[in-house]
Amino acid sequence: MRLSPLIPTVLRNLAKKPATNLFPKMEPVPVPENFRGRLIYDVDKCVGCRMCVTVCPAGVFVYLPEVRKVTLWTGRCVFCSQCVDVCPTNALKMSDEFLLASYDKYDEKFIWFKEEEIEELKKKLEEQKKAKEAAKKAENK
Amino acid sequence: MSETHANEGTEVKKPTKAEKVANAIAERFPNAQVEVKTNKWMRERVWVRVQKEDYRELMKFIKALDGEAHYSIGIEQDWGEELGFLNHLVIYYDDAPAVSLLIDVHAPKDDPTLPDISDIFPIALQFEREGMEMIGIDFEGAPDKRRLFLPEDFPEGIYPLRIDDKGVPEEMVHNAGHPYYLKGGAKK
Ligand code: SF4
Ligand code: SF4
Repeated sequence: MRLSPLIPTVLRNLAKKPATNLFPKMEPVPVPENFRGRLIYDVDKCVGCRMCVTVCPAGVFVYLPEVRKVTLWTGRCVFCSQCVDVCPTNALKMSDEFLLASYDKYDEKFIWFKEEEIEELKKKLEEQKKAKEAAKKAENK
Repeated sequence: MSETHANEGTEVKKPTKAEKVANAIAERFPNAQVEVKTNKWMRERVWVRVQKEDYRELMKFIKALDGEAHYSIGIEQDWGEELGFLNHLVIYYDDAPAVSLLIDVHAPKDDPTLPDISDIFPIALQFEREGMEMIGIDFEGAPDKRRLFLPEDFPEGIYPLRIDDKGVPEEMVHNAGHPYYLKGGAKK
């Protein structure tokens, strides 16, 4: 019988330390620079240009015409970073976060700019509009 | 062309391999439209638009030109009034560049039949089966007309890649939905 040519390699490796990362006992393997992790959205910077809606291949964005912002569900995101590249105001960026497991696909952490925030902004805009109109009337008098 | 333009070493001999193939096809099939197109990387391709009647003869002719001819792919297309089937072949590939050959054949939608060529290039059959289920071209004489990719319970008479009313209807299109819409976002 012929001996396997792997035997010397196996014997040599038996004497070595295991080369594994014992997650979760250890820190995970560090991410490189420009790693594409969970998407971060800054509502205040967004000007509602809809570029991200056009470019996203995964249907993450919904445009909200009343407030001229977008709402995101990153549960669908494929981490391609195209929205980050196209956003003219840097309202979108990719973070280092990659431990994103969840029991609920509509988990808070997957949704940016939630219902309540949208309602709040709507009210705020309405008030601003009224204030402007009032100011105009006062001017005309 | 003047001598100053010729770049030694990269000089292209005229006629090129592609042009020779184009001329041979044009001579044998006077009804076919033959064109040599050059892309921005100076890669030549021979485009042939052939009549349905000449299609089988042309495929036999190519096989005779080069017995090693390689059939790469068959692409079904919906041109509106007509259905098309585009065959991409590579011939004379023992020295680079090979001749890249595109054979386009059309059939009207009210008589969407094309001859099968899988006896000449056996691998063509799998692309023809795809063409039959996806766009509804009937390849006459194909030895195997079973579906290839579509599931058994997919309705008859619907061809997913058609752009007309035989394409997939609105009711068959599903979307898992965005939570903003699922919560009645835009409707409120
Ligand atoms: S990273 Fe890609 S998939 Fe994710 S939201 Fe941006 S464009 Fe869409
Ligand atoms: S591309 Fe940027 S600024 Fe434009 S709508 Fe998207 S997030 Fe807002």
